[in-house]
Amino acid sequence: MSDESRSGLDAVDEGVLVEGAASPYNEAPPEARNDHASVAALYQRFGGAVVRHQVNAGGQHVVFVDPSRSLEILTWLRDDAEHRYDMCSDVTAVDYGAGRPVNVVYQLFSTTHKRALRVRCELPLDALEIDSVMPLWKGVDWLEREVFDLFGITFRGHPDLRRILMPHDYAEGYPLRKDFPLRGRFSREEQTRRALNQDPERFYIPEEFEVGGAVQEVRLPPVNVTAAPDRGTTAGES
Amino acid sequence: MGLIDRTRGIFVGPEAPTFLTTKLDFFVNWARRNSLWPMPFGTACCAIEMMASAASNYDLSRFGMERMSFSPRQADVLICAGRVPYKLAPVLRRVWDQMPQPKWSISMGACASSGGVFDVYSMVQGIDTIIPVDVYIPGCPPRPEALIYGLMMIQEKIRQESLNDHYALRSEDPATVARPRAAGEELVGLTGPFGNSTQQDRLSGLAVTPAAFPSDDPSSDF
Ligand code: SF4
Repeated sequence: MSDESRSGLDAVDEGVLVEGAASPYNEAPPEARNDHASVAALYQRFGGAVVRHQVNAGGQHVVFVDPSRSLEILTWLRDDAEHRYDMCSDVTAVDYGAGRPVNVVYQLFSTTHKRALRVRCELPLDALEIDSVMPLWKGVDWLEREVFDLFGITFRGHPDLRRILMPHDYAEGYPLRKDFPLRGRFSREEQTRRALNQDPERFYIPEEFEVGGAVQEVRLPPVNVTAAPDRGTTAGES
Repeated sequence: MGLIDRTRGIFVGPEAPTFLTTKLDFFVNWARRNSLWPMPFGTACCAIEMMASAASNYDLSRFGMERMSFSPRQADVLICAGRVPYKLAPVLRRVWDQMPQPKWSISMGACASSGGVFDVYSMVQGIDTIIPVDVYIPGCPPRPEALIYGLMMIQEKIRQESLNDHYALRSEDPATVARPRAAGEELVGLTGPFGNSTQQDRLSGLAVTPAAFPSDDPSSDF
């Protein structure tokens, strides 16, 4: 395939690993870094920590960075005036199976510069740990919990890292990992028994249902008894 | 019965008698089957069809079911419309336990009846493993006509009940509260794999997923 006919869509077709290709990772040519200001700046500033750069479908630029420096790099991307990725629209993970590293994916958007950037960190299966980005974007709270729940990746520094989608006492492992059997590890009988043994009240506190303080808002104002002259005696007593 | 005099037509006017004679069974069942209050347990796409059945085009209220009872304690028929994940299983069971007798239940759609396409780790394979079911409605999703037909089958079922069988039909063992309806062999039979997933094996030869919490160890006794 000549370089002219290559598009981002080809990269999606070929997947992350390309058999027999010069670079097994479908890397974008070095010139492509200059198409995206943040990619070029990342290479310049964090050269050693940037592992590779891809351009995916729709011209989505993806930078793979060293997970041990992810927090530092993401902090810079959020705060630097040239970049200002003030919105983290998604945190997710991908497991490619066959013992390959699990990728944590951050999808960033800059509302100032109207630019999107995807940052990925590869975590080897025996060290599924990465710094939480809760200090940068508060909204990633539940996203990181979801990744923890379904992939078993620990987010260091997350204040409330517990399961979110699966039951809290779920004991079969991490369902979105490639080594997880589709129908779960336990028999249907055991799964049903455990499901009915759950105690939902144990895990939820009333505060969790009143995010935003709606419960306080709906309280009725106190009734003004003295305003009703017919009930003068009652008003005098109260 | 009662309301019609076969020789003189319908009773109206001053000569109409002030009483009727009928069988108690008929009268009780007539009252029950024409005021079935559904408890909607809509968990997924099937619930959209259930809402359509209650809306003006299909108009469930023609059958005495206009009042969707959003409290299980005032409901007669549980309509489980949609797939039920294991996390929701105790909720479904509790809603059913909270409903007073006499009560009936409808499993609406492929997912509620059998797990449907979701033969996976997270999904209850048929709500009949959790609660007793009177009528299964096939379809993905069933059309409102199908739901109405299912409700009419419940009406037909009620019509055939007798107060003589009341205790056999309507008594509940407190020991079954919050327990699965099916256990052991029966549950294995009900949840048996079908379709593509017959080829799926629980034992994958790949790496063991490490447990995050000590209680997550599958070998530990729960
Ligand atoms: S049976 Fe079909 S329509 Fe109904 S909940 Fe399942 S997937 Fe949705």
